[in-house]
Amino acid sequence: MRAEAPAYAESWGEWFDRHSRTYFIAPAVTLILIFAIFPTFYSIVFALSRVKFTADGLKFRFVWFQNFEKQFAGNEQVHFLGRLGEISIWGWLLILVGSAATLWWLYRYVIREFWWLGFVGRLISAAGFMFVIYLLASTLLSGNQWGTLLTTLFYVIVGCSIQFIIGTGLAFLCSQPIAGKSFFRVLFFIPLMITPLGVGYAFKMILDITKGPFQPFWQFIGLQDWAWSTDAWAARWFIVVGDSWQWIPFIFICMLAALESVPKDHVEAAEVDGASSVQVFREIIWPQIVPVAATVFLIRMIEGFKIVDLPNIMTSGGPGIATESMSLHSFFVWRANDYGQSAAVAYLLLIMTVLVCSSFFNFVVLKQMRKDKA
Amino acid sequence: MNTLKPGVPVSFEKVQKSFGSVRVLEEFDLDVKPGEFLVLLGASGSGKTTALRILSGLEQATSGRVRIGDRDVTDILPKYRDISMVFQSYALYPHKTVGENIGFPLKVRKVNPADMDVAIREAAAQVQLDQLLHRYPRELSGGQRQRVALARAIIRRPSVFLMDEPLSNLDAKLRGHMRAELKHMQQEFGITTIYVTHDQIEAMTLAHRVAILEKGVLQQLATPREIYNNPANLFVAGFIGSPPMNFLKGELKNGLFEMAGGRLGTAVKASLSTATLGLRPEDASISTANNPAFEGIVYTNELIGDHTLVTANIHGQMLTVKAPKEFAGAAGDAIGIDAPAHAAYLFDASNGTRLR
Amino acid sequence: MSSQSFKLEQSRRSLMQRLFEPPTVGKMSPVAKLVAYSILAFWSAFVIFPLYWVVITSFKDAQLVNEGPYYIPFIDFQPTLDGWRRQFVDDASKVFPAFFNSVIIAVASTALCVVVGSMAAYALARIQYKPKFGNIVLFVIMSLIAIVATAYTGIHWFFTASVALALFFLLVRAFGKHFKGQLGNGDILFWIISQRILPPVVVVIPVYMMFQAVGMIDTHAALILVYAVANLPIVVWLMHDFFANLPIELEESAQIDGATRFGIFWEIVLPLTRPGLAATTLLTLILNWNEYLFAVFLSTSKAQTMPIMVAAKNAGERGILWWEMCAIIVVMIIPVIIMAIFLQRFIAQGVLNGAVKG
Repeated sequence: MRAEAPAYAESWGEWFDRHSRTYFIAPAVTLILIFAIFPTFYSIVFALSRVKFTADGLKFRFVWFQNFEKQFAGNEQVHFLGRLGEISIWGWLLILVGSAATLWWLYRYVIREFWWLGFVGRLISAAGFMFVIYLLASTLLSGNQWGTLLTTLFYVIVGCSIQFIIGTGLAFLCSQPIAGKSFFRVLFFIPLMITPLGVGYAFKMILDITKGPFQPFWQFIGLQDWAWSTDAWAARWFIVVGDSWQWIPFIFICMLAALESVPKDHVEAAEVDGASSVQVFREIIWPQIVPVAATVFLIRMIEGFKIVDLPNIMTSGGPGIATESMSLHSFFVWRANDYGQSAAVAYLLLIMTVLVCSSFFNFVVLKQMRKDKA
Repeated sequence: MNTLKPGVPVSFEKVQKSFGSVRVLEEFDLDVKPGEFLVLLGASGSGKTTALRILSGLEQATSGRVRIGDRDVTDILPKYRDISMVFQSYALYPHKTVGENIGFPLKVRKVNPADMDVAIREAAAQVQLDQLLHRYPRELSGGQRQRVALARAIIRRPSVFLMDEPLSNLDAKLRGHMRAELKHMQQEFGITTIYVTHDQIEAMTLAHRVAILEKGVLQQLATPREIYNNPANLFVAGFIGSPPMNFLKGELKNGLFEMAGGRLGTAVKASLSTATLGLRPEDASISTANNPAFEGIVYTNELIGDHTLVTANIHGQMLTVKAPKEFAGAAGDAIGIDAPAHAAYLFDASNGTRLR
Repeated sequence: MSSQSFKLEQSRRSLMQRLFEPPTVGKMSPVAKLVAYSILAFWSAFVIFPLYWVVITSFKDAQLVNEGPYYIPFIDFQPTLDGWRRQFVDDASKVFPAFFNSVIIAVASTALCVVVGSMAAYALARIQYKPKFGNIVLFVIMSLIAIVATAYTGIHWFFTASVALALFFLLVRAFGKHFKGQLGNGDILFWIISQRILPPVVVVIPVYMMFQAVGMIDTHAALILVYAVANLPIVVWLMHDFFANLPIELEESAQIDGATRFGIFWEIVLPLTRPGLAATTLLTLILNWNEYLFAVFLSTSKAQTMPIMVAAKNAGERGILWWEMCAIIVVMIIPVIIMAIFLQRFIAQGVLNGAVKG
């Protein structure tokens, strides 16, 4: 059968097709503009204002950076940064080591591959790093309580590292010739998909000292009268455990896929050439999955900064503010109807997330990818 | 020059291999002589690669023994077998330079760096790679990658070389060149080499002896010349030779082969109602005599260069003849074809065995 | 040539080798096996136990929970259906609407997100876009002006938004052709994906205000829209890779045969990426089903979802009603576990592809 080529004519369908390049992408862009970009800008207005409730809606009063100033130097400092006391000898030691490392890192960059924009970027990252070092020195190492900023970083850096190590280890085990591989795959994946709310409550219940399943154990070690909500560090680790239960599956499943994507004949060639299993892993497998590992870690960090459900449920941020993440901090301030402060804290979280993640991306992920494609 | 390591013998004794219920290798017996270049030839799925992988230790035989030299290696790990292997994909480590790739077998054996460096340079020089030691595999051409894989195999001077279709990823011209180099190198080292391929030209040109496999069964083990001149059965006869041997179905009456449109006296004094006549295109010729062996009409006619391939339709059966390049018969022309009695191979059509 | 020979001759295995070396390639050594299976068993227990505890708690009553731990139903305690009855019979008028809200919102926002996201992902994989940098700057300035004007002067948002939009188009027409700097598809893709970095708390207050301004607080539509945008980056990221890996010849041949762009997308491209599409859809569905923070802000009664019902069991003077809460959690996680079983293989592949080419 022969079908005639349609005569070219300006019709509704034709017009529609010619503008396909617009309508294909316009909905996504519009949605993001309205519900992500626009609110982000709007948030700046909140963060720079004192917001009052009146009969006919909210009234904004422009107050410059007062909301931010409060977090860093004003009466919110203890909450956000921590109690900045006298720096102890250990604190000074950390500052010394930290600044030496930072200077060495900058020096190496200047010597090896100087580019002014790269240098500015590294200066910003270095400044952020030194600020965190200073905070650590004057709170943790000087026996003072720290604020929500360091709590968030603790969840992200310590929590994600633990999850990464365990997740990768499990993935390596499951890439070995073991029986029931697909069962373990599915089972280990499941926690990622459980609602964080459920995870929070489940762990709160399980680790309950008097009614939880480990009650005999607590009794045995003499902790029957103790409570998670009294010890800041116990409470923080408590949350890291819950968070890890949920997120190790993510690392696990991604790293397992990465391990399985290493060509089989590379491993076989190494085995014939005489490498032991340890050598095969160290010399052949690991170098090939490092770029993926760095990316997976980055994704995990991005999600990690948003942590809010678990501390809210498991400890309500307590004892005091010991387990309060910045998201939760912002949420609590919002509940106290201080919209300006809430937006300021949220903005600080955004800035920190971008700073940490882009530093990690530029100095770790890109480096690995470049090495891979060099 | 080289201090040559005398080659070691390799043997398979009744090796069987099944994957689940699928048998890929049945009762495989093979003795490889010291220093021999042995080619395992077969189509894909014939079990040739499995045999090689069992010898390398990457695959475990279901039953049977494998020996390298005087050692039974059936149950030991590849790293203790003193072998090296070139993979079809070369299996070069993408994150290691050419030098690191070549040196890897020594590195994992904790050879000291100075000795290793010397050895890498020697191996690289052997395959003309000494200028590229600091490149990464992705920066190399296909032929260069092939050489890296080769250098990695020779650096350790193993007892046995195993090669799994090492040339199949190269283009035709490079393949011819590498073939010659491989043969030269093997002769120089005198190391026993087992080489797997599906390419009969590689098999014929490289091998001291060729082992032809089909469906997990060894069909024939012989020198290339013997295999060409004296194929053991219908499969081997059809597999070796290019263009392939013609097969005509008919009846054998006390040495006289008869079919519709032709008859040919042969040296086989036997009778069989369902026989197959094998006739190589290069052994047949266009007949100008009045009474040719086969009479048919020209079906196609392809000028190759120094000769013409003429395919004739003889009452429904096709017969290809290698004719002089001057042949100019057009499709549809009547044609006569002759062949000498000694060039006729006869097989039992029911099971493919050769009739002698 | 040197006479170096690096040989390792070994026929008989020592005890250490027997323990620490695999007998053959593709197997594990006895010690490795022991270690591996112990770790796997321990981790399986660690994964299963919280789920198990939630399930059995849902079959306890107040007394059983408060008396202390009971571990195995029928053996050390008699399971009751109290919590379940309380939720799904007595409180049915609260729980069932929440359940259906959750289903409607999760399904609708997933559908919206996947359709819009995969269209954008396909466009970014196949069509060249060159937005001008100047136009973008202009847009940012205009929206900032509109926002500031609305916030500080009290002019109605509708008025400022229209003026700003009109001004934007006017200025683009006037000056657009003088702008030189251009961005490419990679930049747009990065921009969309990078939205994932945005913490929800940054946008949730303004989004709340926006919905309030148009009277959409506590409606399904509000949650559907917000959830769809929150997951758009994931959909675009995963789908872009599936699309980019399709052989373009199929689409080119369809183009020559006279198909429209949308026809090609709908009839050829989408069916080819069906496995990836299914995985992306399931993932989005699960994320939407579990979402809590936006739901807290944007729904007060009519549009409440299941997570809110779970959290609601924490309020009240009697403490947490564990047995009732666990019943709801079980209802929430059963569909998710079923989906997860289908999903795990695809997610890893998708993330991996994205990460490698990233």
